[in-house]
Amino acid sequence: MMRHTISLLLFFLVHTLVFAQADYPNLNEITNRLEALDKNSNATLSTLTTTRGGNPIYALKLGTGDLENKPAIAVMGGVEGYHVLSTELALQFAERLIQNHPQAVEHTTFLVFPNMSPEAYEQYHAKLKYERRGNSSNLNHDRDGFLNEDPYEDLNKDGFITQMRIENPTGQYVMHPNDNRLMVEIDTSSSDVKRYQVFSEGIDNDKDGKYNEDLIEGVAFNKSLTYNFPAFEPLAGDFAVSQKESRALLDYLFQQWNIFAFVTFGPANNLSSPLNYNAAKAKKRIVASPLEDDVAINKTISELYNNTVSQKPYMQENQGTDGDFFQWAYFHFGRLSFSTPGWWVPEAKQDSISTESKLKVTKASNFLNWAKQESLDDVFVKWQKINHPDFENKTVEVGGIKPFMVMNPPFSKVDSIATEHTDFILKLARYQPKLEFHNLKIESLKGGLKRISVDLLNNANLPTHSQLGERSRWLQKVRIELSASKEKILTGNQIELVSKMDAFETKTLSWIVKGNGNLKLKAGAPHTGFAELNINL
Amino acid sequence: MKNFEYTFSIFLITLLMLSNSTNAQEKFFRAIGTPHQPKVEASWNRYNTYDGIVDLMQKIAKAYPKLTRLESIGKSVEDRDIYMLTVSDFGTGDPDKKPAMYIDGNIHSNEIQGAEFSLYTAWYLTEMFEDLEFINQLLKDKTFYIVPTINPDARDNYMKEPNTPHSPRSGMLVLDNDGDGQSGEDGYNDLNNDNHITYMIRKSPTGRYIKDPQDGRRLIQVEAEEQGEYEMLGFEGVDVDGDGNVNEDGVGYYDPNRDWGWKWQPDYVQRGAYKYPFSLPETRAVADFVLKHPNIAGAQSYHNYGGMILRGPGAEEDKDTYNREDVRIYDAIAKKGEEMIPGYRYLTVYKDLYSVFGGELDWFYGGRGIYTYTNELMVSYLYFHKNEGRGNQEEELKVDKYLTFGDAFVEWEKFEHPQYGGIEIGGFKKNFGRAHPGFLLEQDAHRNMAFTIYHAYQTPKLSVLDVTEKDLGSGLKEVTATISNERLMPTHSSQDLKYNIERPDLISISGANVVAGMIVEDDDFNKVKEQIQNPETIRVPNIPGMDTIKVRWIVSGGRNFKINVDSAKGGIVSWNK
Repeated sequence: MMRHTISLLLFFLVHTLVFAQADYPNLNEITNRLEALDKNSNATLSTLTTTRGGNPIYALKLGTGDLENKPAIAVMGGVEGYHVLSTELALQFAERLIQNHPQAVEHTTFLVFPNMSPEAYEQYHAKLKYERRGNSSNLNHDRDGFLNEDPYEDLNKDGFITQMRIENPTGQYVMHPNDNRLMVEIDTSSSDVKRYQVFSEGIDNDKDGKYNEDLIEGVAFNKSLTYNFPAFEPLAGDFAVSQKESRALLDYLFQQWNIFAFVTFGPANNLSSPLNYNAAKAKKRIVASPLEDDVAINKTISELYNNTVSQKPYMQENQGTDGDFFQWAYFHFGRLSFSTPGWWVPEAKQDSISTESKLKVTKASNFLNWAKQESLDDVFVKWQKINHPDFENKTVEVGGIKPFMVMNPPFSKVDSIATEHTDFILKLARYQPKLEFHNLKIESLKGGLKRISVDLLNNANLPTHSQLGERSRWLQKVRIELSASKEKILTGNQIELVSKMDAFETKTLSWIVKGNGNLKLKAGAPHTGFAELNINL
Repeated sequence: MKNFEYTFSIFLITLLMLSNSTNAQEKFFRAIGTPHQPKVEASWNRYNTYDGIVDLMQKIAKAYPKLTRLESIGKSVEDRDIYMLTVSDFGTGDPDKKPAMYIDGNIHSNEIQGAEFSLYTAWYLTEMFEDLEFINQLLKDKTFYIVPTINPDARDNYMKEPNTPHSPRSGMLVLDNDGDGQSGEDGYNDLNNDNHITYMIRKSPTGRYIKDPQDGRRLIQVEAEEQGEYEMLGFEGVDVDGDGNVNEDGVGYYDPNRDWGWKWQPDYVQRGAYKYPFSLPETRAVADFVLKHPNIAGAQSYHNYGGMILRGPGAEEDKDTYNREDVRIYDAIAKKGEEMIPGYRYLTVYKDLYSVFGGELDWFYGGRGIYTYTNELMVSYLYFHKNEGRGNQEEELKVDKYLTFGDAFVEWEKFEHPQYGGIEIGGFKKNFGRAHPGFLLEQDAHRNMAFTIYHAYQTPKLSVLDVTEKDLGSGLKEVTATISNERLMPTHSSQDLKYNIERPDLISISGANVVAGMIVEDDDFNKVKEQIQNPETIRVPNIPGMDTIKVRWIVSGGRNFKINVDSAKGGIVSWNK
């Protein structure tokens, strides 16, 4: 009896620990949740590689039946380490899919990569918290021949890296007129107020005049992919895809011939508003704009997103940055690529007593207004004087918006965000290419010959191939194959390859064959799924 | 009696030994510029398989342990070691700190002679180290990193399996080339079992070719209004998978020379690109080695065909990467190369050939700031010193008639083809055209080696030219050191300087108390730039070619001080008072 109670209590304890989270999970908690998912028969967890920092890069494959030969959607989390929400959204998508939408995996395979930046992610739970992008490789970010010579320092010992401001007439920053917590750059209309230098928190360890320019972090995953790779810039690496985790991920993805779309939880957003088509850039040899048909698809899916997600877009200007995963997935891997941060700071209601109405609203000022309206107290470290060894006779203060606050919502909001984004991904899945045979007709001709004609329909809102994907060798063509031997086929092809079928496009096929019996007709590709037809002559 | 026998035996043995060496001396007589009694016997009029290459490298390493180091820099797709020979005078300085020249060959599996030319270089340098003052000093000053083949798997496949002169070109990965879901389902077929993939032709009333009545090997294209007899069907093969195409999907297709991490583009932009930069183990092995050896200042990657000395940019979009200063250095070295190798021309890839993204020479220069050429070896000019153009059938048949006596051509023979019916198979063998015939191999190897030696010679050579002292009073003095670079190449190319690819050169003084340190920008007018942090080690961004730089310290004390120059690509030199 006693043992029963204890195990029951333990069960509920574990249950509540798992499902009654109060904050974004640490790496161990993520592993536990993934291993719990792995126990389900529709889920398989694998480790693609272990990072240099000793952390596994996980891949979760969700689906039933012939997993490799039906369309798949890949969901990415942790492309940016400081975007802890993204990992939680990826995880919750997998959990909700398995628990609440088991039938969805019959038609679509889902690949979930919850965290591509485990070392950077873990800075959220570290003793010294700051927004980190880089992994644990050694990289000389300022290329001066010295390694890691100028990291952050926690000058006010509060466990956060924020900013420091130094009163200095030659400084380029002033306090924001409406909110003197914020520092803004001066412009030529500034009135005669106190001026400051502003840096991130730290000391100039190598005395080169720059602060924290060579951090103890390595390559940022989301700056290291091949599209517009920013060579020689900090955090990018010596060349694109140089790190174990990016190589392992890409090696794996190049083997998943059935992925037709990516949904990346990251800073770029082409769902609130679609990308723009630029004819001149699209025609260049190095394609620099999404192609016209694909922008049309983006518009459709963007509408789908805005109808499913309740948050109205605000200040969503990031539509891709150099070397990021979101653009790689489309421009270099040829698949449909969608990205959203999942959440952003909504537009704060404007202050009715604002005197200087012409003042530009910045992300930071909007955030502080919104935080006030939401009664979030603990978002700002108050400016506090400290003694700074590099500025002996000057007034130096440490303060600023706490890290992680602007990109990641309070954890209580995550539940509804996860529900909406799960719904969106499932709706996207319902648009996937779907090949069907219709209107089979068998005519008997003279001499025992038979003419077979049939329609192949892509009964879907999306084409089989994106316009760019059609050019890529990494997407298979639609292969139509009739199971008769070549001698039996008098007209028509035994194997035919079709490079693309549009949404709702029909292709009529016909053959003249000799003889009787059962023939099989099969059409498709791994990323479109296959249609099969039995033909009884 | 015993004494006599003893002495007599000694006499006999000595006589025997002397006669042996005298015999050898009598057998061979020096041909100028070539070792006539090499420790390693090698034949330079034939090609080597992977085993042959490894064998030669091991022999050279064994014969010259103080001049060479043999190591594997990585493994190929089929798990073969990619071997490198480091050639330098290991008794003078650390080879991995001397200015170095990197040489590789055979990145395209069918472009085989780069391996022989690289091996010839390693052989020649070691065999002539004792003989020639120039080579002796060269190996004291410089290091050569020589990798004869960076595509060992497919080199062997090209040689041992039926191939055209152009295949496989890639490594041995088998990919889906036609998007039908299958890989390698329809490669070449050696229908006549001669280990060559030659041409198929067929008699046809609509054919545009006839056979030359005077030379049955030759196909002539008829005039537009004339009837021909033969049609060209293509390379030997059958439609294996019944999709209506012949030879559309064999080994490959991908191009290892599109796998390098500078302005890399995916396959639909750049045909042959694989997954991402250095996604192939062979190229990754080279990249890892180069990143670990910042002393590499110059490089050569051998290809065929064309008789060219190529520099980048590989793509027009990358024009800005090469600026005037560096182009001047490229020009100076390559123009000398044109003189050394008559028939070879100095060209720029994107302008004179075609745009290429992700090529090896682009990464070596754009990504690492290393002055790099690719020589396209072999050109028809070498046959008769005529510019008849590439693949001129008449000229080639003349070569095979008068110089190679039929070894190059497979005579036309009838064959019954499953899809085409009655055809004829014949044509030039895979090892004719792109590959040198045996009699041309050693000369071209020597000339191209000479070019790479000239290139290596022009890597920086630093010395402390002059050190002056000036008394400032109060126990202080000014020490000014002049550092000279007496070769063409600067210690940092302008691409290197633009992006800080390599660390600055470090000029340090020890044995004195340093009060201040500075770079002297103009000695005549006393323009200096102080380095406030760590003045004992002056960080100099660059020491230009054929030029000097001056650094200065204000020191106290220091009766016997030492000056050290540490440059990644310039090497290490010291000066003691």
